[in-house]
Amino acid sequence: MVRPEEFRPFFAALARDRLAFPRCAQCGRFHWYPMPLCPFCRGSQIVWTGVAGLGRVFSWTVVRHDFDPVLRPPYVVALVEFDDAPGVRLVTNLIDAAFEPLAIGMAVAAVFPAAGERVLFRPVR
Amino acid sequence: MIAIVGVGETIPVRVSQKDVRALCLEASLAAIADAGLNCADVDGIVTDAGIMPGSVPADWMAAQLGIPLGFSASLSYGGAGIVAAPMLAEMAIRSGRAKAVLFYFGVDWGSRPGGPYAFHDAYPAKRVFEKPYGFSAQPAYFGLWARRYMHEYGLTDDDLADLVIAQRANALRHGGGQVTKALDREGYFASRMIADPLRAADCCLITDGAGAYLMSSAERARDCRKPPVFVRGVGFASIPVSGDDVFTQPSPLLVTPAAAEASRQARGRAGLSLKDVDFAEIYDCFSISCLMQIEDLGFCAKGEAAGFIRERGIGIDGGLPVNTHGGLLSYSYRLGIEHMVEAVRQLRGEAGAAQVMGAQVGLVGGFSPPDYAVALLGR
Repeated sequence: MVRPEEFRPFFAALARDRLAFPRCAQCGRFHWYPMPLCPFCRGSQIVWTGVAGLGRVFSWTVVRHDFDPVLRPPYVVALVEFDDAPGVRLVTNLIDAAFEPLAIGMAVAAVFPAAGERVLFRPVR
Repeated sequence: MIAIVGVGETIPVRVSQKDVRALCLEASLAAIADAGLNCADVDGIVTDAGIMPGSVPADWMAAQLGIPLGFSASLSYGGAGIVAAPMLAEMAIRSGRAKAVLFYFGVDWGSRPGGPYAFHDAYPAKRVFEKPYGFSAQPAYFGLWARRYMHEYGLTDDDLADLVIAQRANALRHGGGQVTKALDREGYFASRMIADPLRAADCCLITDGAGAYLMSSAERARDCRKPPVFVRGVGFASIPVSGDDVFTQPSPLLVTPAAAEASRQARGRAGLSLKDVDFAEIYDCFSISCLMQIEDLGFCAKGEAAGFIRERGIGIDGGLPVNTHGGLLSYSYRLGIEHMVEAVRQLRGEAGAAQVMGAQVGLVGGFSPPDYAVALLGR
């Protein structure tokens, strides 16, 4: 299945260990997920904008049931927000999170695993 | 105005020996017989627009019933489609395009590989940006919502337990559902964690089964076998957020999309207020989503559902009986067709030990994000 064209810049950034999100050139707002038109003003000129990779946990859950053919439970799914990309909430996994209790608002930083097209996050002390 | 003149359902089970087409046919025949009508009396079909077209298409049903369709239509998928269907039937009946419109819906998510979890694979962004992180099952979505709701409104595990235990008690009084085991607080806390803070007891069942209802004009309904249940008002609303984004991106996130607007429309069309509602069948895919809908439909203010449940009571004898059959949590998970069937039975006085005494008006809420539908039904 062909991956929608508007998804590709995200993975191009990941390949350089960078995180970037789509932003409308017309109204200046970020949106997520990627889509052909800005959902706020219908602008069609979307500029992918790099962010620092520091975020805060909006919410989290520990998945304990074996739903997934690849990931083995338990694993932590978090929804992360970014000060430098307001409006984006990124689904990710938290790693190295055992040393302190998970909490909403916790500061987290992006980690780019060597293999696979993923970005993970770990707590920032 | 139109009326619901017949209802039918299969006995809900985790895994059926029948395929989903046979289940939908069985429920449809039961609904037609319940009305005291024949297949030849049916001239219109409405079903959902998302799930049935690929598994039990209307043309197959029409062929089995032997009816030349004069009208066929669909709106939304799953929950909202099930509850909004009378809106389409009313258009057809009022314009003279159909006299008796059948709605049917069924799932085989108990026996189908992937079950309910495979459903969201159809969404491109979910497949690319969520599945690699193990975020593809509905309990994980609502686990995130529940955790955030706890943070914003001070909800506790005990509050979720209150709702789950009350619905289980309703299910045992009804007696026709999939779960027959009582649940107390100790049992709730012993229920295994699926996606924190949601336990197995907070998640709906998984079911093979179907349900159906038959609609006609109010005048014609009086000639049918059972007392008519009138469709007093239907509301249908949506927000312009795709199915890819709706579980994670809307701001604010802790509002059931479109539920307030659908509720407002239904009340306006019916000329009723929520004070007139004697019971409610609400789309309880998870404890947290039912709790949020109680707020978003307007029964109480945002953040106050736990107190509302505790003080008002949602049991059969409570101030607002909710999910009188036990709901998706404790009766069956057929995406809300069981809610329509149960509401009709309540209003006919056919609900047996689960009967809400003197029930005159029932509300049914159907949720399939980003859509929501509300039906106000009355005697």
